[in-house]
Amino acid sequence: MATITEVLPRPTYGATGLWSWITTVDHKRIGVLYGSTALVFMLLSGIEAGLIRMQLATPDSDILGPSRYNQMFTMHATVMIFMVIMPMGVAFFNFVVPLAIGARDVAFPRLNALSYWIFLFGAILMHFSFIVNQVPDAGWFSYANLTEQPFSKNMGLDFWALGLLVLGTSSVAGGLNFVVTIINLRAPGMSLMRMPVFVWMTLLTSILLILAMPVITVGLIELVMDRNFGTHFFVPSEGGDPILWQHLFWVFGHPEVYILILPPMGIVSEILPTFSKKPLFGYPFVIFSGIVIAIMGWAVWSHHMFTVGLGPIANSVFTITTMLIAVPTGVKIFNWLGTLWKGSIELTTPMLYALGFIFLFIIGGLSGVSHAVSPSDFQQQDTYYIVAHLHYVLFGGSIMGIFAGIYYWWPKLTGRMLNETLGKLNFWLIFIGMNVTFFPMHFVGMNGMPRRIYTYSSEFGWGDLNLLASFGYLILFVGFLVFLFNLWQNRTARRVSHDPWDAPGVEWTIASPPPSYNFAEVPHIRGRDHYWIVKDEAREAGNPITEPEPMVDPSTIHMPSPSYWPIVTAMGVGLIAGGLLSHYGVSFLGGLIAFIGVIGWSNEPAAAEEGH
Amino acid sequence: MSSGDHERFAPRWYRPRRLAVFGVIAVLFLLTAACSQGIQSTWDPIGPVAQKQLQLFEVLVWTMVIVFVLVEGALIYIVIRYRRRPGQPRPPQIHGHTALEVTWTIVPTVLILGLGIWSVFTLFELDQPPTDQGEILEVTVTGHQWYFEFEYADADGNGKLISTANDLRIPVDRPISLILESDDVLHSFWVPKLGGKVDVVPTRQNTMWLMADSDLIEQQLPATYYGQCAELCGIAHAQMRFRVTVMSEEDYQGWVREYSPPPALTPRAQQGQTLFAIHCSLCHTVNGPEIETVAQTRLNSFLTGQDNAAVPGPNLTDLRTRGTLAAGIIDLSVENLRAWLKNPKDIKPGNLMYENAVLYDGGGDAALSDGEIDAIIDYLLNLTQ
Repeated sequence: MATITEVLPRPTYGATGLWSWITTVDHKRIGVLYGSTALVFMLLSGIEAGLIRMQLATPDSDILGPSRYNQMFTMHATVMIFMVIMPMGVAFFNFVVPLAIGARDVAFPRLNALSYWIFLFGAILMHFSFIVNQVPDAGWFSYANLTEQPFSKNMGLDFWALGLLVLGTSSVAGGLNFVVTIINLRAPGMSLMRMPVFVWMTLLTSILLILAMPVITVGLIELVMDRNFGTHFFVPSEGGDPILWQHLFWVFGHPEVYILILPPMGIVSEILPTFSKKPLFGYPFVIFSGIVIAIMGWAVWSHHMFTVGLGPIANSVFTITTMLIAVPTGVKIFNWLGTLWKGSIELTTPMLYALGFIFLFIIGGLSGVSHAVSPSDFQQQDTYYIVAHLHYVLFGGSIMGIFAGIYYWWPKLTGRMLNETLGKLNFWLIFIGMNVTFFPMHFVGMNGMPRRIYTYSSEFGWGDLNLLASFGYLILFVGFLVFLFNLWQNRTARRVSHDPWDAPGVEWTIASPPPSYNFAEVPHIRGRDHYWIVKDEAREAGNPITEPEPMVDPSTIHMPSPSYWPIVTAMGVGLIAGGLLSHYGVSFLGGLIAFIGVIGWSNEPAAAEEGH
Repeated sequence: MSSGDHERFAPRWYRPRRLAVFGVIAVLFLLTAACSQGIQSTWDPIGPVAQKQLQLFEVLVWTMVIVFVLVEGALIYIVIRYRRRPGQPRPPQIHGHTALEVTWTIVPTVLILGLGIWSVFTLFELDQPPTDQGEILEVTVTGHQWYFEFEYADADGNGKLISTANDLRIPVDRPISLILESDDVLHSFWVPKLGGKVDVVPTRQNTMWLMADSDLIEQQLPATYYGQCAELCGIAHAQMRFRVTVMSEEDYQGWVREYSPPPALTPRAQQGQTLFAIHCSLCHTVNGPEIETVAQTRLNSFLTGQDNAAVPGPNLTDLRTRGTLAAGIIDLSVENLRAWLKNPKDIKPGNLMYENAVLYDGGGDAALSDGEIDAIIDYLLNLTQ
């Protein structure tokens, strides 16, 4: 049968080579792509953080100078948020969610590939700013009107805004994909209230992504218009309003905070029961508090703007809503403690990271309450006290949760266990380094040190603690190197069984690494802790389970074919944005490529014809 | 190998007891460093606004410390107490406890709402200056890239207009009402010992009030306090500092009376006056308060963003009475002023004087002889020798 486009060969299990990765639509491989890209950016952004700490280690220092310093803190935060923690979350969504709900792939596998490639091209586009040496320098929040003429003279902010617009496209596509996947592709028996907490948090995060990204998109488009096409949305001298940007940014920005923390909370909720050998305590309350956080997250954005002068009434309302959002967060923590209570706690590396998450997140949550109160925040806003707080929730929370997840699901991904000794060394270095770096910042902030200053005079007395913080960074960096070494040495590590942790999740029923089709037979989900139920019954029946579900010939299972149209379309999207930074002809070319990509995509047969 | 051997062959620092001593010293050092109160500390309030904010913070912090100890203590206790022992049977499979859930939802809610309501009262209490504590002095603060301008519409109660920069002078024990404006980008006005910050926003007239309380001030008056811009405002944001001089009412009135242009007495100062008119007066006013139309012209020129455009420079009228130069980053002295005029870039990278003034277009030092610079210094500082 003649088709407009030739379909590529069927995937074969274990296919290797660059082409197989470029054309892959397998959710597990896309998860690996997301994760490894995010690790590269984590290293990059970590080096940027190192330059920041180097500059601040001593008073009156001029190693970087003001303009490089502004670029470094802008890119450190932008990269960590949009190119490390968010894609790490998506990496886990990709790898874990279909396995955990008993599905063979996500609902839209090619859209999934498109999300990844758009993310990659958006991230590369923003990093082009380093090549032309016009790096964004107005902070990750890029408050107007410092981002406008005549205050921002080079193209740095255009790279920033267009890069984020491209990344946002990827996030919305990914969000839609996972909502549809989770709603529609659950295996029989997996009712909503039997879903693993991680899947629930993925669902909530995806909904937040779909709702939040359009808000920042509006702001970014207005910014690009202001900078390039002579509009004045945020230009006060022409009647625009810089505060409008702040509202748009934080209406996105606060739900974004929960986009960053809900997935790690889900990861931790999977790990604690596994290593306590107890079901999650108060499952419905954990889920419900997640839903409450996702809803209330929309009603607290102005706490980032207490000092803007919105007046005492607005500040009161946002003080109360912000303080109240601590309650569902606290409920989660209490339920985690309830899970551990009377458990049989095994301190493996993923468990250490999960416990580290709880320990550090409590500190971040508590310091958060002190600036939820607006009169108290007037002293803390824009100081290092806030820097300390946000790193306790984003590093102590999100990053610790991500490391927990990597150590937990690694044996499923590769069939090999990461070295536990190195893992524990890795954990303790990062845990200690994190506290040495960020805890002193509370005191420096209360001692009057504002954020985003590239230098400070010795007369302020901030030198000692800044030096200590910079020393902590070195510990952190060594910890991260140990982690990379652990990944590297894993090539030769011993193989482990399909269920090395005796875990309750559906994903542990199949072989490690999972076959391309995941489940030869769609499982019937027996309960919240499916695999524990199945294993218990087998044990009682006298033949305990030691083997994964048997594998079958992959060609007997209908799976989506690889496709190169996602990367073609994504390249078109990237070029459209790139053209706005160079020559409109490039945008036109990009539009054409994207158009061809969409046409090719929609005419591609869903699968290879029989007999291929 | 016995444990004694291990002890002997271990590096000296590794021996547990030494390690513990080292740890205690490290913690003590940390606490000493942490609790020191610097010149810009929020822990050392000298006015009612900062004091109330600190009281609120302290109550919050101690509440949080109690919660911290309870919750983290529980976490650590549970992890130690229920750590897996070899051969341990599967623990009881508890799925939840509704009464417990309800309790740990309601108790924090009540606690949080209590603190929240109290903080709302503080918020409203601090919103307006008190009307029963002396006459309110009104000062307009304008944020510029990168210095603060202060304008007293009625400095002495008889309508004397004063424009100054980088050095806010206030009388003790009188509420000061500040009107915050910006002509360029966002800034944030912050004097930690006097009170929390309020952003300075173009398009908006924010207000705040502060008061220096003589009961809380331990130093001799006039006393100097430190402030700094707290909102990223561009390349010299880190160097957008200022000082607040708290004076007795008499000293303050004396300063107001003496506020006047430099009289230019000596011949060298007269030469300086001419040089100032040629090279500096495009951006700086030196003979009294700002004139509305001149300020507007400078602003419009600045917003074009062109090279060598005039910009709103700090008013230099009473420079000789100020403590600092270059937005509070160096002390005012003849030597510092000379260095500043010669090459301001080395002192404050990115400053607009260096970027825009024709004098510095050569890329290095100012296109002025040392004698000419000294003449300008004489004029500005009103030196008659």
